Amino acid sequence: MRVSPKLGFGLGVYLGLVLLAFGAHWIAPHDPLEQDLLNTFAPPAWRDGGTSTFWLGTDSLGRDILSRLIHGSRVAVTVALIAATCAGILGTVLGLCAGYFGGWVDTVVSRIVDVWMAFPPVLLSIVLAAVLGAGLHTVVIAIVVIDWTRFCRVVRAEVMVQKSRDYVTSALTIGLSPWRILTGEVVPNVVPLLITLFTLEMGIAIVVEAVLSFAGLSVANDDATWGSMIQEGRQFVRQAWWLMVAPMVCIVLSVLAANALGDGLRERFDPLLRRERP
Amino acid sequence: MPTPVSRRSFLLSTGGLAAATGLPAALFHGAASAAADGKTLTIAYNLPLPTWDPTAGASAANPAVQSIYKAVFDTYIDQNPDLSFRPGMLTKWGWNKDRTKIELEVRAGAKWHDGSPVTADDVAWSLERAGDPKSGNPIQFLWGKIGNFKVSGQKVTADVKEFEPALFKWMAFLTAYVLPRKAFTAAGAGWEDKPVGSGPYMVEKTERNAYVRLKAFPGYWGPKPAFETVIFKFVPDATSRVAELESGGSDLTLEIPFEEYNRLTQTKGFGGVTTPVSDIGMIFISNREPLLDENVRLAMIQSVDKKAIVDKLLLGFGVPIDTLQAPQYAAFDKTIRTKYDPEGAKALLARSGYSAANPVKFTIQTTRGMKAKDYEMIQAIVGMWRKVGIEASIEVYEIARHFELRARHELAPAAFYNWGNAIGDPSTSTGFAMFSHSPHSAWKTEDVDAKIGPLWGEKDETKRILGYRAVDKYIADKGLVLPLLQYVQPVVFRKGLKFTPHIAGFVLPQNVTRA
Amino acid sequence: MFFLKRLLLALPTLFGVAVVVFVLLRVVPGDPIAMMIPPGASQADVQNLRAAYGLDQPIPVQFGRWLSEVARGEFGTSISLREDVMKLVAGRLPATLELCAVAMVVAVILGIAAGVVAVRWKGRWPEWLADGLSGLGLAIPDFLWGLLGILVLGVLWPLLPVSGRIDPRIEFDPGSRFFLLAAVVSGRFDVLAELLRHMVLPALALAIPLAAALARVVKGSLAEAMTQDYVLVARAKGYSRSRVILRVALRNALIPAITLTGVQFTFLVGGTVLVETIFSFPGIGNLAIGAVLQRDLPLIQGLVLVFAVLFIAINLCVDATYVALDPRVRRP
Repeated sequence: MRVSPKLGFGLGVYLGLVLLAFGAHWIAPHDPLEQDLLNTFAPPAWRDGGTSTFWLGTDSLGRDILSRLIHGSRVAVTVALIAATCAGILGTVLGLCAGYFGGWVDTVVSRIVDVWMAFPPVLLSIVLAAVLGAGLHTVVIAIVVIDWTRFCRVVRAEVMVQKSRDYVTSALTIGLSPWRILTGEVVPNVVPLLITLFTLEMGIAIVVEAVLSFAGLSVANDDATWGSMIQEGRQFVRQAWWLMVAPMVCIVLSVLAANALGDGLRERFDPLLRRERP
Repeated sequence: MPTPVSRRSFLLSTGGLAAATGLPAALFHGAASAAADGKTLTIAYNLPLPTWDPTAGASAANPAVQSIYKAVFDTYIDQNPDLSFRPGMLTKWGWNKDRTKIELEVRAGAKWHDGSPVTADDVAWSLERAGDPKSGNPIQFLWGKIGNFKVSGQKVTADVKEFEPALFKWMAFLTAYVLPRKAFTAAGAGWEDKPVGSGPYMVEKTERNAYVRLKAFPGYWGPKPAFETVIFKFVPDATSRVAELESGGSDLTLEIPFEEYNRLTQTKGFGGVTTPVSDIGMIFISNREPLLDENVRLAMIQSVDKKAIVDKLLLGFGVPIDTLQAPQYAAFDKTIRTKYDPEGAKALLARSGYSAANPVKFTIQTTRGMKAKDYEMIQAIVGMWRKVGIEASIEVYEIARHFELRARHELAPAAFYNWGNAIGDPSTSTGFAMFSHSPHSAWKTEDVDAKIGPLWGEKDETKRILGYRAVDKYIADKGLVLPLLQYVQPVVFRKGLKFTPHIAGFVLPQNVTRA
Repeated sequence: MFFLKRLLLALPTLFGVAVVVFVLLRVVPGDPIAMMIPPGASQADVQNLRAAYGLDQPIPVQFGRWLSEVARGEFGTSISLREDVMKLVAGRLPATLELCAVAMVVAVILGIAAGVVAVRWKGRWPEWLADGLSGLGLAIPDFLWGLLGILVLGVLWPLLPVSGRIDPRIEFDPGSRFFLLAAVVSGRFDVLAELLRHMVLPALALAIPLAAALARVVKGSLAEAMTQDYVLVARAKGYSRSRVILRVALRNALIPAITLTGVQFTFLVGGTVLVETIFSFPGIGNLAIGAVLQRDLPLIQGLVLVFAVLFIAINLCVDATYVALDPRVRRP
């Protein structure tokens, strides 16, 4: 199988992230929480006065930035995987039901989606986080509550298209139960689409975590997250701009990778889908 | 004296020229028509003004917004920059012999901004309103201790319902503003648009959450301020405040990171003043598990290296303290010390069965960005605790939430707060912070109450102060609160200005002059 | 007719929004009353306050009362700012609307330009540059663009103001809250320049993600249009490639772009919440963050509802434009 550059880039970055997240304890050169008030704002290795002990320098409490970035990937990966999975499951189930059963089920679900779409997502997530109290679980819940509609709308539309196809009609005529048809016939056909949505959602989840950290509503401890590192670094842009820019680069890279992965997967699956269609 | 044309004002005026000649050019040159005429003082302020009623709502008790109120309104009694008292709207004040009555004399000749005279009736009405629970005054419980006001000429007398030693000190502090009876009652909801005070500046324009513009009041009874127009521009973000100053958008700002203070004053030619102010950083300890264990509390206190925090994190801009009294306060006692002893802390914890491997766990709450480096400070402290066997998890909250939780006695076992005490009285530091019936306390136990209780009504001032010192000693020995440091307030301003700092931390426009 | 039907369909959505807002905020931990009571207030005082805000009633009664008030435009009094919520919102909304309008204009110009450039110089470096930039534009969320803007144009190279809407030293009485409009109408171009200077960075932060999305759509539909017969005919007549793109193909490629702009515009409006906060821009987004952090229930409710109404209105407009452009939609 040939892998397109987009797919390669996206896969590479994500595999790297997952590796970093799982191996953070062994990979990070320092304890991300270890402070040294005598060595604050150490510059990165390539600048005057920088040392290879702290490749990216240290922050306002003398903690190693590189190690904090590496440990921050744990939060990013956790949020991305869990939130995207939960949002995907919730949205898909509702979308499948709405699309397949139609009628009042569809009306109810579509109404709810309409209502949801009327909220500004950022504001809603901040209100939710304020309601639930700061913490990683809050971030995940906020993302799921807000973003299930993405999956729901797309899946519903796709199911409606699939339902009108011959193979479903013929499955019905030979007496298969709706459940069997859903799981056996319809689901496999929407899976490629779901995978693409899922990868995009991972990128979105990482951004939402950063937004909430930025507003001070994510993990509150001195645990490292990229969003909180941006917020902390922001105060020192004049003394040490890299404090803010380093976590920004991580976020941007992750989202770029998510987008590339999504694009790459779509390109890969699309021809297949087309071939299957009559 | 002619004002020298600075490079900045020159740039600004050329900017104005550019605006007149072409829009695109103006886009990339300084502010348009507002040339620095030397008559306007723009202050980039760290908090927005919540309301123009300086006597109502929780924010009225926020020491940080008082600078604006003090520019527009008069307090009953005024305070010099060194916190000593001087006449304000009252020229004389005092108790009668047996302290059952107070007598006040109201300044003659003072005017409201609408031109009408300030009367003794206004003063009596303001005091009466402050003591009325319905007015929403956050320290109504204090003003309610006097009542039955009588006005005769310029004199106001009132009965003392309950003796309050610090009453006249309070008359210089929070919510102690004289408001115009007629104008206030007539305005109703319109008050917010056009408040009327008697201070050196009157309100010209209020742009909520953006800025307020004040004009010098020609009928002011005191000395004429140096600037005709004063603008408080609300810029809550410290980075943006620095940018405001550097770009010439503002003339003066406060509460900026100390790194920035050093950079601006040392390399950029800005003027700066740093003063220790009557504001302390402290950690409330609540009487709940696991902090009911004295070993844990003392270990918490002994493992915090306050000196390192002040020197390294705050770059020396702070004074470590061991009681709730800063050195300028009446009941400060330098002999009361708590030591920094991490090994001792480990031993204490070991006695209760805790160690770095088996740490004692609790939550610490903190604000973030409310004070310079508050959150960093808590992170640093949590790091110091971790080393001796205390695992604290940080919870960030807004200051409003702190007030709410504190009022309900639901703060986390440890909670960071900055306690302002512009009048320097021990009743408003140790008294309010440690007495269980005070809504502001977190440690509520009978042993402390028994020691503070009698001091509330103590009429012998020397005995009262000594009493509070004894309480402070007891609190330090038992480890009932963790005082950290007295803040130093950084104020930075453009060249050509002179600023007189106020120990209360007020940045008063009437205290800014041309150099 | 179609429009009327959509309008009616929006009503249940609005009702649903109201229900969600109400439910969401009733489960806020922490008592809003506790923040309002003066220390030392008696239990009776607290009860009186509760009654004054109707918080002592059963939940359905509270909802009914609240809904009827909201329908009349009465959102109550903000707890933290002690002012009528509707008045606060009305005072702030114009700033946000102007910012969003400017941001959208910027986004449309940048997006279409990037799309056209990518097609005009297909296969050469301008295409790659446009693609790369739009990729970055999509990957970096608006508030990070804002921070980058502050870093580059406010700090490293301080050319633009990074906070506020207008320099308060300027003597200018706009007569309404629409400063930009007032400046144009009264011919105060110095004020206009000043207002725009303050808007450059926040508007760019909001515009870039939308511009990036637009660039992609314009590029795609333009590339498709370039293979159509009428374009090939125009080319055969000897018109230059640029001229064909701008005069012929672009017009036909705009429908999907307009639809996308409408859909994405809601995201842009939602983005004001963070971007206005970063730039201390006095709009409703800025107000919203403050309200949430202060747990100011009446204000949060009012703001979320206003945002929702805005969103619904934008979607209605998009639908209407779409119908006007493409009559096929009207068929069932």
